Amino acid sequence: MFEIFQYQFMINAILAGTVIAILASISGSFMVLRRYSLMTETLAHSALVGVAIGIISGLSPLWMAVIVALFSAWSIEFLRSYYKLYSDAILAIFLSASLALAITIVSLAGAFNSSLFSYLFGSILSVSTADVELILGFGVIALSLLAYYHKELYFIAFDEEVAQVSGIAVKRLNFMMVSIVAVIIALSIQIVGTLLIGALMVMPTVSALRFRQGFVKTVALAVIFAQASVLLGMALSFYLSLPSGATIVLCILAIFIISLLVNRK
Amino acid sequence: MTFTPSIFDVRNLSYIVNGQNILKNLSLIIKRGEYCAVIGPNGGGKTTLIRLLLGLEKPTSGEIKLFGVELKKFKAWYKIGYVPQRVSQIDTNFPANVYEVVQMGLTAVRGNSKEKGREIIEASMEKMGILHLKDKLIGELSGGQRQRVMIARALVSKPEVLILDEPNTGVDIKSQHRFYELLRELNINEGMTILFITHDIGVIADDIARLFTVNHSLLTCNNPKEAVSCEAMSKLYGIEAHAVYNHHHHH
Repeated sequence: MFEIFQYQFMINAILAGTVIAILASISGSFMVLRRYSLMTETLAHSALVGVAIGIISGLSPLWMAVIVALFSAWSIEFLRSYYKLYSDAILAIFLSASLALAITIVSLAGAFNSSLFSYLFGSILSVSTADVELILGFGVIALSLLAYYHKELYFIAFDEEVAQVSGIAVKRLNFMMVSIVAVIIALSIQIVGTLLIGALMVMPTVSALRFRQGFVKTVALAVIFAQASVLLGMALSFYLSLPSGATIVLCILAIFIISLLVNRK
Repeated sequence: MTFTPSIFDVRNLSYIVNGQNILKNLSLIIKRGEYCAVIGPNGGGKTTLIRLLLGLEKPTSGEIKLFGVELKKFKAWYKIGYVPQRVSQIDTNFPANVYEVVQMGLTAVRGNSKEKGREIIEASMEKMGILHLKDKLIGELSGGQRQRVMIARALVSKPEVLILDEPNTGVDIKSQHRFYELLRELNINEGMTILFITHDIGVIADDIARLFTVNHSLLTCNNPKEAVSCEAMSKLYGIEAHAVYNHHHHH
């Protein structure tokens, strides 16, 4: 049963998955509460453009994904606040445009292959030790920022304007939040895949919300749900040779359905 | 005698959106300890005026000073408590208990120890009579209770001025009376400056010291004599004005 721990790639995947589950669920809570869930989907598709550039240029797809996701997040925030365009419409535009761009790039390069497939749906085989170090390094920075500013981010999620009037630097913190989310998404796509990472950020929180608790308990529940589904999903992926992103998302979907059944009304 | 700057000093304020004059050339001064109400027809710019005062909108032209400091350079936001219009429209699914909501008011005030913070938060809840609701979720409260939570949050940073936008929307009559009593107490006992928007002039009439009528521009009623012209103006705007009296509070 424990043969799963005999492989270095599996240990890498479990380490990276653990960090990603914590980060995705905590930052996801803020996104869900701000009605910004679609942002996660959109940034995941933008990250795919980075992956495409990485695959055809020989640069690190992971780093390119981080750069493009960040650029995309900042552009969305800029359009939202400067032009006051509808948030959901901007997200829809970026989502489709990114996917179109990514597919065009890889098609032009003739690189439509299994490597791309693993970025779309996640693969536990693809996580190298260097990737784990990057994910751990960034994880510590992101968690520290989220911990330090959690009260501000919570206030902004509850009521952005009152938060601003109380003296909180709302614009700067929004900017920080989407940057953190962009990087988390870019780093998660190896394990969960671009098409599926949105679910890992949104569903743990939505499931936790069904239990009608205060903020601290809700986030704690979301972290537990994310962690459980990542570990279980990776185990299923390992034993059944399935894409890890898909099995992880199916696990969190099961938790979501249970949370609906347990907490009716 | 030391010079104390006005809480709000507004000069020639104009706000134009898409070619429409929402506010035109409006000037007003609100001094420390004053108890003021803003009335006016819907779409007359009441809420816009408050939003401009709080820096949530940028004026097209004109000058706003808060506590003697230009709005752009103003940093001491803890001195201002703000209760927005949306009290009745709170997201009832939001994962927040009463304690967590009131605590938000202290977010921008760093430097309190955890213990001290809890003391301040509980004192504010006690004052608003909501301490027993501490662990209740915000979505489980009645309109009147939610209103008290929002005011407790606004008061927790010990502000010198309290701004409320249509605070009684979605609140039952009994709670409304308690609410006006509370405002009066804060004004008289603690010298807090109060500015609120309402369409509810019948109820507030006896208490307020100054009444601003805003309909794109401003008519100020400072004393009973002016109330006569105020009545005329109010009629013009289609507001029942017969219940308007003005008393100054002496502290």
